[in-house]
Amino acid sequence: MAKRANLKSSLSSSINNRADELERIARDILDHPESGYREARTSKLVADWFSSNGMEVQTAIALTGVIGTFDTGKPGPHVAVMGELDSLIVPGHAHADSVTSAAHACGHHAQIGSMLTVAAGIAESSVLNGLSGKISFMAVPAEEYIELEYRESLRGNGEIEFFGGKQEFIKLGFLNDVDIAMLTHTGGETPGTFGVGGSNNGMIGKTIQYTGKAAHAGGSPHLGINSLNAAHLGLAAIHAQRETFRDSDTVRVHPIITKGGAAVNSVPADVRIETYVRASNVPAILTTSEKVDRAIRAGALATGASVKITTNPGYLPSKYDGRLTEIYRHNAGSLIGDDNIIELSHSSGCTDMGDVSQIMPTIQPTANATSGNGHGIDYLVENYDLAVIKAGKAMGMTVVDLLADDGAKGRKVAGAFNAPMTISEYLSRMRGFRSETTYTE
Amino acid sequence: MRAVALRAIDSATRDLITDAKTVYSTPETGFNENKTAAYVQQRLQSLGFVVETGIARTGMKAVLRGANPGPTVAVIAELDALRVPTHPGADTETGAAHACGHHAQIGSMLGVATALSAAELQNALSGNVVFIVTPAEEFIDIQDRLALRASGKLEFLSGKQEMIRLGTFDDVDMAMMVHTSTGNGSSTLSIGGGSNAHVSHQVRYIGRSAHAGGAPDYGINALQAAMLANTAINTQRETFREADVIRVHGIISNGGASVNAIPGEVIYDGRVRAKSIEALEPIAEKVIRCYRAGALAVGASVEVQSIAGYHGLVQDPTMQKLFIENAKLVLGRDSISVVGASQTHGGSTDMGDLSKIMPVIHPYANSASGVGHGHDYLIEDYEIAVVAPAKVMTATVLDLLGNDAQVARELLAKSNPAMTAEQYISVQRSRFKTELFEPS
Repeated sequence: MAKRANLKSSLSSSINNRADELERIARDILDHPESGYREARTSKLVADWFSSNGMEVQTAIALTGVIGTFDTGKPGPHVAVMGELDSLIVPGHAHADSVTSAAHACGHHAQIGSMLTVAAGIAESSVLNGLSGKISFMAVPAEEYIELEYRESLRGNGEIEFFGGKQEFIKLGFLNDVDIAMLTHTGGETPGTFGVGGSNNGMIGKTIQYTGKAAHAGGSPHLGINSLNAAHLGLAAIHAQRETFRDSDTVRVHPIITKGGAAVNSVPADVRIETYVRASNVPAILTTSEKVDRAIRAGALATGASVKITTNPGYLPSKYDGRLTEIYRHNAGSLIGDDNIIELSHSSGCTDMGDVSQIMPTIQPTANATSGNGHGIDYLVENYDLAVIKAGKAMGMTVVDLLADDGAKGRKVAGAFNAPMTISEYLSRMRGFRSETTYTE
Repeated sequence: MRAVALRAIDSATRDLITDAKTVYSTPETGFNENKTAAYVQQRLQSLGFVVETGIARTGMKAVLRGANPGPTVAVIAELDALRVPTHPGADTETGAAHACGHHAQIGSMLGVATALSAAELQNALSGNVVFIVTPAEEFIDIQDRLALRASGKLEFLSGKQEMIRLGTFDDVDMAMMVHTSTGNGSSTLSIGGGSNAHVSHQVRYIGRSAHAGGAPDYGINALQAAMLANTAINTQRETFREADVIRVHGIISNGGASVNAIPGEVIYDGRVRAKSIEALEPIAEKVIRCYRAGALAVGASVEVQSIAGYHGLVQDPTMQKLFIENAKLVLGRDSISVVGASQTHGGSTDMGDLSKIMPVIHPYANSASGVGHGHDYLIEDYEIAVVAPAKVMTATVLDLLGNDAQVARELLAKSNPAMTAEQYISVQRSRFKTELFEPS
């Protein structure tokens, strides 16, 4: 016990010495936002930092992903500490890129900061020497499930298979020998607290293309088939079914029209929609997906258009590990007081940490350090000490607990975990979500 | 001859207007016009006619034989009222009201019968004049009429359709009637143009009822299906050509059983109209596609029963010309306005069906105020509504069947009806169909 306390103390003081540098990196990433599978600058920044801190580095994983590993040389569990490289696209955000409108409106820049903070603490030889097993720091691309057409094109080129970065990491085998995973997300609940536990919705993504028939909208609308009307009806039909969504399933369906017609004086012949179907559990996702498809088909049937519905795997619902949460809770409480550790409720948002949580013990605590609305123009990290430094210390201390004493606690957490699925089961399930059907009724 | 006939109508004016007002005071809906029929029967009998009654439930036929052989001309009047409960003349129990002026038709037909029943005039006619009193021109009370159809008491849902089927028109060569209208105020009568064909749809959505608060996820909401269908139909309107005079309209006659249950069954009464059956059919297909889309969207089933409605009215140009000449002669040069043949009235009449098998005219007497089928539709000028049409129809009949019926014979030689009665009956039968669409 005393030994672990010493290790945590060394970890903390090592982090304290580099706190300015670590916060500066997070702010630098804030000012250079890059959206998923495009995080070239951020990726290089992380890879360079890993190299200069004595880690074995692998780059260009899933295009922009980076892994830096400390191997203790002693047998023991393999723990992954993760940070997400990508930003959102939010025009109007104070730190938005002037060209791409990419913006860190979800706080991922602070995740890279907290991940590097853990690494800065572990890099201290007195800490590393006291641990067993391996610690990998994984900078993962593309957590935000956006720019579906771009990712579809990457998929078409064979550069990726899945739209989420962690999913690609899993597919590429980088989590095969990992036993435990953690990541700290920023959050907007009671300022100055850490949130633990909780869960997330899962989701699938759909791209929908209505094909009608163009005609002069003034001169001969009777010769046209209006795809926009088909889409309008499809969306109205989705909404008509909301009363059938169960509260406990926290279903979310929120489409956007990515192409609404070519010219206002021509009957729209090509109209496209993107939507998610989210729910707290896979059966509800699948049931709702059927309802959405039915509704979308109805729009086509009513107007005589045809419709192609492409469904892509999204993220699985998350279920965070109880034992790991308790270890983390204890360490986080020791930093900011037990009263400042709050229980997270279910979030109807989604993350590919959900996918990770289906195959290994995983936690995703939150550092409540932000103001504004998540994904909004006003979402800002206000408390970098909490979001980067203390978040890193809490995870670092948790790593110490897991890997000290020959990795005893880590082995226990990993051994007690009852995985809902293996990696190969995961991959086949995700591939099973994929479908493409054209309906001409 | 004409002068004799017109004098007879003049002397009968008060009786004819009383006839119309009497019928107005006992409004009865289609196939239920028992009191009205009894009154008209008694009036025809008092003029010396033998009246065949009970045709298509409440319809009648009386034949006036000319002295010499020749074609047969029918003069038609419609018995039925609408249902407009807020109309000042409405029956307080049934809500039936003469908001379409059919009561005036009874007066004008009796005027023709009165004038022509003088022996002097009968002797001048070559051919017969038949007075046909038809039930149920308004295509309403569909459920009730379907029940009559199911029990074998009717096959078609309107009076003239049913009378064609029963052979009432088999001995008739041409037909005329005059309908009231609000007109444009500039002329006493008007004539010309067509009216819309139509089809009725009984659309039954079958969902699954469930507690709307406790278990909506177990329900399949038939009302949502119907409302989506209605929205879908509305998006199709941009594909309707003005030239086709398309009308699509419906009511929800059963929109759910109770507000705290997910509606498991909803009935939508739809109607599709267009200037002709040819223009109508593709639109009806689009509308049925929309009904199906509503069901598909929510996972309900839908049963669509198509009910043969009316055909578009085509007026015979020769008979129309004759009527116009007589109107000018009898009522004055400016007494009649003419609508172009290409214009189609948005409404429908089963005179359209008759016009498929024989030459017909369907002029208007511009005598009413208010909105047709509205609570304020009232006959303001009974001279115009009853007496003027009686005079012009009488004069037209005399032209047709006088002088060895040369005019009528020429008219028939030129006319080219679209179909025979047998063909018409088989077309109407084929328009009845029931389709069930289940979720796939």
